[in-house]
Amino acid sequence: MRRYKAVEGGSSHPLQVGEEVQSVKQFSSELIVEAVVRCLRVIEPSLANGLSHILPPGMSARFRLGMSLAQACQDVGYKGEIGYQTFLYSNEPEIRALLMFLVEKLPRESSESSDQPAGKSVLLQRSIAFKIKSQLAVPWIPPSCRVPFLCKHQNSDLAHGFHAQHLSIPQTTVLSGKKIPKEVKEYCEKHLLPVTAQPSQHAFLCASLLERNLADISAVQEWESEWNSQGLASRLSIDEYKSRKRQRLQKRLHDQLRHAVQQNQENQHTARSSSDLADLLKSFGAGPCGHEILVKGTRFTHTEKFTFTQESEKMVQQMQAAADSLPSSKQSEKEVQARQEEEVTGLQQQIEDIAVKIEEVSLDIKKLTVSVMQVSDEIHQKELENEEKSGSVQVKSKTVELLPDAENNLGKLQVLVDNSAKRIVNLASQWEKHRAPLIKEHRQLKELCGNKELESSRKVSEIKGLHEKIRQSADEAKKKEELYKQLVTEYENLPKDVSRSAYTQRILEIVGNIKKQKEEITKILSDTKDLQKEINNLTGKLDRTFAVTDELDAKRDESVRKAYKYLAALHEVNALDSENIQTPLLNLEKILNDYKAIRQENSVLAAKIRDA
Amino acid sequence: MAAETEVQLMMSVGLIEKDTNGDSLWVWCYPSVSAELRELLLRKCCLTDEKGALHTFVFGQFRRLWYYITTAEAQDQATLKKVTHFSIVLTAKDFNPEKYAAFGHVLCRMYLKHGSPVKMLEGYITVLTKGICQSEENGSFLVKDYDARKAYLAGSIKDVVSQFGMETVILYTALMLKRRIIVHHPRLEALLEFTRSLPTLVWHRKDWSILHPYVHLNDCELDALKVCTGYIAGFTDPEIGNRSELYDVYVNLPESEIIVSQFAKDAMAMGKLHKDVGQLIIQAAADPDRSDSQVVKDLAVKTREILSTLTSLAECAGSKITLEHLRQRRFPPATETFLYHLAAAEQMLEI
Repeated sequence: MRRYKAVEGGSSHPLQVGEEVQSVKQFSSELIVEAVVRCLRVIEPSLANGLSHILPPGMSARFRLGMSLAQACQDVGYKGEIGYQTFLYSNEPEIRALLMFLVEKLPRESSESSDQPAGKSVLLQRSIAFKIKSQLAVPWIPPSCRVPFLCKHQNSDLAHGFHAQHLSIPQTTVLSGKKIPKEVKEYCEKHLLPVTAQPSQHAFLCASLLERNLADISAVQEWESEWNSQGLASRLSIDEYKSRKRQRLQKRLHDQLRHAVQQNQENQHTARSSSDLADLLKSFGAGPCGHEILVKGTRFTHTEKFTFTQESEKMVQQMQAAADSLPSSKQSEKEVQARQEEEVTGLQQQIEDIAVKIEEVSLDIKKLTVSVMQVSDEIHQKELENEEKSGSVQVKSKTVELLPDAENNLGKLQVLVDNSAKRIVNLASQWEKHRAPLIKEHRQLKELCGNKELESSRKVSEIKGLHEKIRQSADEAKKKEELYKQLVTEYENLPKDVSRSAYTQRILEIVGNIKKQKEEITKILSDTKDLQKEINNLTGKLDRTFAVTDELDAKRDESVRKAYKYLAALHEVNALDSENIQTPLLNLEKILNDYKAIRQENSVLAAKIRDA
Repeated sequence: MAAETEVQLMMSVGLIEKDTNGDSLWVWCYPSVSAELRELLLRKCCLTDEKGALHTFVFGQFRRLWYYITTAEAQDQATLKKVTHFSIVLTAKDFNPEKYAAFGHVLCRMYLKHGSPVKMLEGYITVLTKGICQSEENGSFLVKDYDARKAYLAGSIKDVVSQFGMETVILYTALMLKRRIIVHHPRLEALLEFTRSLPTLVWHRKDWSILHPYVHLNDCELDALKVCTGYIAGFTDPEIGNRSELYDVYVNLPESEIIVSQFAKDAMAMGKLHKDVGQLIIQAAADPDRSDSQVVKDLAVKTREILSTLTSLAECAGSKITLEHLRQRRFPPATETFLYHLAAAEQMLEI
């Protein structure tokens, strides 16, 4: 087995032998044909040129292939018995003999290049592979030690990192259907640099173009898949869908920002409540965004911040002054110490003053906020009171007007109220006559609408299914197209002068042959049956004989013992033989099946001829 | 006279129907309801609730207008084809859930029987003009039977105290200082029941306009809420716990938990005074012989004591109080801040 593999491995497509195939006995017809064709291709390319290494599905085609293969083998010089049956109804010894012969015939020194016509691309690939191999073989050498030859390959200047830059390319409008504004057009025509000049370094151009192209393609693909999955389901037009998506995003951004601001404020409040000055200062300094948010803080935080910054500025000034005076003075240490103490007490005094001030101001703020609350509440209440009172004043003024003739007016009002009530009820019943049908209609329409909605969602899903189908069909069409092209080329390669009558002739011949074969087969079948019967008889006899022999006492005589041993061996051989007999029987069944297939094909062909 | 003033309190009546298509629709109203309010009421009436929980009676307040929504089923009713549920929406100026629940029920029976809003309108008009409405069943609805005072006392303050014990005093303080209280409970009925009893803690004000028992986390409603100085707002949405900018005190009813926000901690510092009040409330509420109204009265007496202290202080210092006056009295710091803020809440502070 390994031998075959080794040989086949040399050709461009190694023969694929499955793990389960352990010996030549298990070779299927396909495998045999493939192996033989591949061997023939190596041995004599001209002979094997028209032969496919794939067993065709049609029975007659198989038959033909078998015939031509047999012919080719004979041409190469195979002397053994060979015919289409060798390939289609294989038999271990024949196949083994054939393969052995072919392997013997294989050229010793595998000269691949001459075996196969090398195309341009193959040549190129080979040369690339060769170059890479040779370059990999050369060890890396530090730049200072390089000879000129090495500089060419190992110079890092030649290699660039993949560095993409944004390229400005005018949007094509054919697809979107929107007009380009005049200004943009002018800009593109007059000011926009060509793509090759846009990257800051020329080396980035290739990478930038690749990146841009990939980004564009993936954007289109992403949009398509999104539109097909979610867009269609939303039942909006493309523009509507896009605008809704934008709104959703904006809202999310808004929420996030609000949340962040809120959290930040909370952090500040907790910081403020802690009385530690250092903490407070830290909280002002912490986080770059802290200051920005503080703009929105209360007045309290503003004043606090103000006093603190002032204080720190003063400190800085004083420190500066002290630093200036130090190097110039040559006073004694005592004086220096005294001055420092003085300064310290002065500063402490200042700090205390400021702390007191802060306390005062914060108290003021507290007071003010409380009073603001009180005032705003008061205003609120007063406004409400005002509203109520103005309403009651109106009513009361009307009442006062009617007071002089109270009895009379009361009666009149009562009548007015009663009449109005009646009128309103009357109007309501009239309105009802219009309202009820309208509501009814509304509900009906709504129901209709709901039904339509249901329908449309069904259709959307249908459309989705269709989309899927279209895609599948397109793929299939592509495949078929390719197949068609392949077949056309194959067809063109075929000899054109074969006429129909020749084919029909041949078919008729084959049919005749097959008829003969059938007769023979039936004969063989009956023979086989007879043989089987005889074999059965003989086996029965043998068994009986063996049983009788078994009963004999074998130990008594040396010769008898030997004879018994031989008999046992003979029995084993017999068993093996009977196993071997099974294979032709199997082949016979296969032949019968194939014969049926051929008959069917022939009848189809005959019908076609009749139609023609 | 009383009847006449009350008559003007009712503002409108409306009808929302839910049909077999699953749509909730404003189908009728008298005299008119603004579009904003219509949207709000549609949200409040349980018909639009996706969870499908049915609340037969819901009430709430929006911009000083009270709404009362009575909902009934109308399945297999010959008079109402294609309608599965309907809600009668009454809006009014006064707080009186019992009154409007009863009236709403009467209107519901009418609508179910006749299938037309005309009868309902007749009933509404007679209540407006005469303060009475004949019921479809025996008896009639009388406006006079429903006193506002009764409505104020309908909630049980004893339940509140039994749930929160000494912590009730936090609610008391917050209400006295006109702070913002938010109550959360996932069940609407519990929310309505609990929140309506809170204003009794500050009985001396008799101001139920601070109560917003059923608020959604909706911009329009929150804006209306923010206008108020102090409020009690009920939310069923648990998300409210994260909106700390909306409350000074947060009551999580299912967990029996009261949280005071960072902003309000200073003003709400508790001292001996609060302890006294708390003990008083607990004692009064624990007494099985005392009714809810008596507990409220006891607390009101204590409140009046505190307020009279403030007035006497104010009289000593002219007519209004300043922080300096309070400082001179040398109260404990917690009491001082409480009194100071209380003076602001009662408009007794000199500005």
